[in-house]
Amino acid sequence: MSQLEDELNAEATESEGAAARSPAALTAFRRGLSGVTVPILTTVIAFIAGGLIVLATGHNPLSTYSSIFNGTGFNWLFPWVGGAARATAAGNLQQTLIQTTALILVGLAVAFAFRAGMFNIGGQGQYTVGAIVAVWVGSSFAGMPAVLHIAFAIVAAGLAGAAWAGIAGVLKALTGANEVISTIMLNWIAIWLGVYCFQLGGPLQNPSMPSTPVSSNVVAGAKLPVFWGSAALQGLDVGIFIALALAVVFALLIKRTRLGYEARTVGFNPEAARYAGINVGRTWIRVMLICGAFAGVAASLDILGWKFSLFTNDIQTSQIGFYGIAVALLGRNTAGGTVAAALLFGGLLTGTSDRNINLSIDPTLVQYLTFMIEGIIVLLVSTDVITLRLLKGGQRIGVALGRRPRDVAGAGRGGGS
Amino acid sequence: MAQSTPPALALKEITKKFGSVVANDRVDFDVVPGEVHALLGENGAGKSTLMSVLYGLYKPDAGEILIDGKTVEIESPASAIALGIGMVHQHFMLVPVMTVAENIVLGQEPTRRWRLDLKAARARVRELSDRYGLAVDPDARIENVTVGAQQRVEILKALYRDARILVLDEPTAVLTAQEVRELITVINRLKEDGRAIVFISHKLGEVLQVADRITVLRRGKKVDTVPRAGATELSLARLVVGRDVMLSAEKPAGRPGEALLDVRDLHVRDDRDLEKVSGLSLAVRAGEIVALAGVDGNGQQELVDAITGMRAPRSGAVAIDGQDIAGKGVRAATEAGVAHIAEDRQLRGLVLPFTLAENLALREYRSPEFSGHGWLRLGHMQQRAEKLLAEFDVRGGGAEAYAAALSGGNQQKVAVAREIASNPKVLVAHQPTRGLDVGAIEFVHRRLIAERDKGRAVLLVSLEYEEVKALPDRILVIYEGEIVGEFPPEASEEQLGVAMTGGKTERTEVAL
Amino acid sequence: MSVGTIAVAPSRAVSPKRIGVAGIVLGALAWVITIPPIEARGMAVPIVLAVVAVAAGAWSVGGGERKLGIEAIVVALLAVVGAAASAKSAVGTLESVFTWSALVAATLRYATPLLFAALGGVISESGGVINIGLEGMMLMGCFWGIYGADLLHSWVWGILVAMLAGGLLALVHAFLSIHLRANQIVSGTGINFIALGITGYFLEYHYGPNGTPLNISMVPNVKLPLIQHVGFFGAAVGDANLMTWVGLALVPALTFFLFRTRWGLRLRSVGEKPRAADTVGLPVLRIRYAAVIASGMLAALGGAYLSVGFVGSFSNDMTNGRGFIALAAMIFGKWKPWGALWATLLFGFGNAMSDRVSSVNPTLGTLFEALPYVLTLVAVAGLVGRSRPPAADGIPYIRG
Repeated sequence: MSQLEDELNAEATESEGAAARSPAALTAFRRGLSGVTVPILTTVIAFIAGGLIVLATGHNPLSTYSSIFNGTGFNWLFPWVGGAARATAAGNLQQTLIQTTALILVGLAVAFAFRAGMFNIGGQGQYTVGAIVAVWVGSSFAGMPAVLHIAFAIVAAGLAGAAWAGIAGVLKALTGANEVISTIMLNWIAIWLGVYCFQLGGPLQNPSMPSTPVSSNVVAGAKLPVFWGSAALQGLDVGIFIALALAVVFALLIKRTRLGYEARTVGFNPEAARYAGINVGRTWIRVMLICGAFAGVAASLDILGWKFSLFTNDIQTSQIGFYGIAVALLGRNTAGGTVAAALLFGGLLTGTSDRNINLSIDPTLVQYLTFMIEGIIVLLVSTDVITLRLLKGGQRIGVALGRRPRDVAGAGRGGGS
Repeated sequence: MAQSTPPALALKEITKKFGSVVANDRVDFDVVPGEVHALLGENGAGKSTLMSVLYGLYKPDAGEILIDGKTVEIESPASAIALGIGMVHQHFMLVPVMTVAENIVLGQEPTRRWRLDLKAARARVRELSDRYGLAVDPDARIENVTVGAQQRVEILKALYRDARILVLDEPTAVLTAQEVRELITVINRLKEDGRAIVFISHKLGEVLQVADRITVLRRGKKVDTVPRAGATELSLARLVVGRDVMLSAEKPAGRPGEALLDVRDLHVRDDRDLEKVSGLSLAVRAGEIVALAGVDGNGQQELVDAITGMRAPRSGAVAIDGQDIAGKGVRAATEAGVAHIAEDRQLRGLVLPFTLAENLALREYRSPEFSGHGWLRLGHMQQRAEKLLAEFDVRGGGAEAYAAALSGGNQQKVAVAREIASNPKVLVAHQPTRGLDVGAIEFVHRRLIAERDKGRAVLLVSLEYEEVKALPDRILVIYEGEIVGEFPPEASEEQLGVAMTGGKTERTEVAL
Repeated sequence: MSVGTIAVAPSRAVSPKRIGVAGIVLGALAWVITIPPIEARGMAVPIVLAVVAVAAGAWSVGGGERKLGIEAIVVALLAVVGAAASAKSAVGTLESVFTWSALVAATLRYATPLLFAALGGVISESGGVINIGLEGMMLMGCFWGIYGADLLHSWVWGILVAMLAGGLLALVHAFLSIHLRANQIVSGTGINFIALGITGYFLEYHYGPNGTPLNISMVPNVKLPLIQHVGFFGAAVGDANLMTWVGLALVPALTFFLFRTRWGLRLRSVGEKPRAADTVGLPVLRIRYAAVIASGMLAALGGAYLSVGFVGSFSNDMTNGRGFIALAAMIFGKWKPWGALWATLLFGFGNAMSDRVSSVNPTLGTLFEALPYVLTLVAVAGLVGRSRPPAADGIPYIRG
């Protein structure tokens, strides 16, 4: 037992109690610089690790990363990039932002749950259910005016996602069922439900394409308008604004509403919440409903924005719910962090996709590289110790950063216990 | 006195720090075979830390440990056990779902080829049990066994490993009077056997019954070591506290009015469905402080839970100013005017990652003052917080500081502030000064008296002898879920002690 | 609600509990008689049985056995649905679906990988470490098993390499969860991502777009000498894979280990109350490490069976969520080896049924695929008895 361990133990048992063990503790409640430092450091370490693997398998990590970067379209922001390269970059950036749209929302779906002390691993299932409903609404009701049709589809998808997540919430509140397991199970049930709907002979399969396991197409009136790039080449649709708006809603919800307050209390200290008269079970259910709604809306934006139909293969291979987990963790469960992390992953996904013809490395390889980087990020976040504490000096910095400058002088555990 | 054989155990100049807190400051301690040496001190004096160092759970910053005169390094409990040290912990280290025999042999199990030889284990347990008078059922699961029996299992664990140095950490804290007598018999038998026994306690009376020598610790330092002959409760108390007892603030006499808290014939069960409050009745009037004294585990927690609405009683009534709130939940209790300073401020009182403003709003955030239509009135919360922090002289941060950054004493001030600020009718304070330093304790006591003078009814549940004596207007003793005695604050420790352990004494009814 | 205070009127000749159980049996019977080998036709008998079952369930509820009674009623209702489905299908269809010997064989094939992983989960959680990363460890075993068998030209090497890979990944999880006290569920999720990345990356890197080669040495089937030719048994178990038998043998072996040896006692103490174990001198952290690494190896064996024992190749994300089903089986089986076995057999049966139903009615077959997940949901909600993990499960141990 080193000196450091003793101190950590003492610190842990004395001042953090129940809060330290709750997943809500993964939130950046330390404001200011340290709130941003950790995610940046985490990302850098993960990319370095990824680079080492690339190096170990005989490729050049620098050229790999730079070609990925060019594929993200972020280079469009550099004023010195011009001409044909600029046009390509624009197209790439549109793709990145399209990915980011859904990632923001699925990330928020996980983040809100984390804040309330729950693990919503069910983003994938909630997204799937939302997608099914969105594609059904979008491909039916052909005569509806566009705004109404789109709104209807989005709201319906949100409700579907909410209901799906709500099942896990209700089970947790009524029977104490662990939401990790129940949401994972619901993921798979949703996937099979989707496959059932759109497989050959399934009830929602496209009647005009009887040999393809796909849904009907979203009608023109329900498609989200594209504002950058051309609709024919999958330009950027207005969904991104909806996602950003919902991120603002998330921030307001957390900080300024009673529900947010109750959720955070339950997340950090369910006992204290009970003592304050908060109905913990009902809070769980409300939180899960909102999380599911976010995920459902994410699906609807994808469907109405660029997918326009749903293949059973899509349903079975989609990983977006899991990316959402990484996004939320990296973004430390805050609105701003989630948006930033979503942007990062959006770029990564676009930069490593088949679209990027300039990739200096086999695209399949980098797609799996992305998984590895994602995994490393999640692992680093899971410890929450590695970046702040293992550096012995970092321990003091980490604690000190949690206080405002004028407090540091007068603070300290004076008096002892 | 020159000793021909070295002591079985000697601790020399042991120092242990946690950050800036010095838990043990150059402490010397030794025990010889066949002796009971008591380690006496208040909560937080450093007794448990010293024993954790001995048992290998902590590494001392300075000092050395000698067994039979030879210096040793104790790196882990395994080393301690190998050196013949056996520890009977205050909070039992037993696996609830396993049987008595399994718990006793864990780590040194008898085996027959590959199998765990439970028959041999049982036999050995019975053997030890008979020899020392420690009756247990080897096949019973720990979770189904009484607290007294669990302690016997803990002792058997040490004996099974041939511990020659036995450390008993607050062994009587959870025992009934009968069980204490049985324990003392066992200790004597172990003494005759030549074992060296360390008896840790904060109870003066027991220590005088059992010990041959007594060492007193105070705030991490050793104050003195005295032989039993010639020591009295008063002389020991002086050593423990360091000044003549009674640290109370001047307390004007109270002027009690109507009963604001009226508990009648309450029956409450705990999480394991055992009845912990059995037909309890008590009343606390406006403008008085009533202390509830008793050994931990006699139903205090369940009673507090019932009054604050956390637990629904099986039967009985809890009336706040005439309004029955029994079983109606926390919100009903809060709205009726019950405030609760919780026993464990970190678990139940505060949300450490919240700011002070957010913490201070926890009780009343639903009221129109703090929120409307689902939105929080943040500015208002902030203002209120700043006012309270100034009024209660909370140091360590402003309204935007995180609760985690404050010291224990200041955290408790915040918890107290929150409860008192809501102008409750009844204030339930459950161990409000646990773990606090003298200055913070004084503050809390003064506040409680101030609240009493404002006309509140204050129920103080405490295990601190001084608190129970200094603060209240009346003392009620709880034992096995019932009120078994009512005493004036002038009652002696013996009277209280007897009542707390179930004995009968002349009841001094306080004229109402 | 306490267990011991339900007063049963002593004058009742048969206890409500027995009636409840009888209700469940009768309810199930209502459906079972409509499928081969009994193949009763028509709805009359099933409905009668179902009605009796519902009555029994109601009686049982009235007598205080709420859970049993409700289960009987639910089973009866589901049985009526099942009987109706049977009534609508032709006898020939029923017979082709319910070829019991083939069903048993398929059940075993589906259950084997699940069993290994579920047993791994049991070991890990008995020691108090949640292992969500079973899926990832299984996947590692799946790929590296093929890799090893290919490179070293023998399935034995494949198995060993698989175990090594699973063990290494488990070591990472162990280090993070035990030493760094990470949030175990999050770190398990990260492990799964990493495994997905590593296996996909090295599949592409090593084998390119053509994938793993054919003719890789595979774990042999065990042809039971006499039984092999005996009708039902021969088709059912006469030609099962070696790993299936190993897996089945592991169940009593692990049960013996956990409950009859001292290491099992120590492991369980660490999972229930590590402080108690620490204070008797047991090396808590080391025991947990061992448990997690063992679980990784077992999960990897499950994955290796898929590639080296059954399919003969590896494709991306081949485990496809089986690790999570194994987790579900562990919970369904109440964290005990035998329980895990029955759960994996049940889930394997669901998969096998799905195949056969698909061959006659593809859309319906898909719904059967969801069965294991629905069952687990039911289990987690506590509808099939109390689901209680070891007390210290998921809580990192801090000394002092």
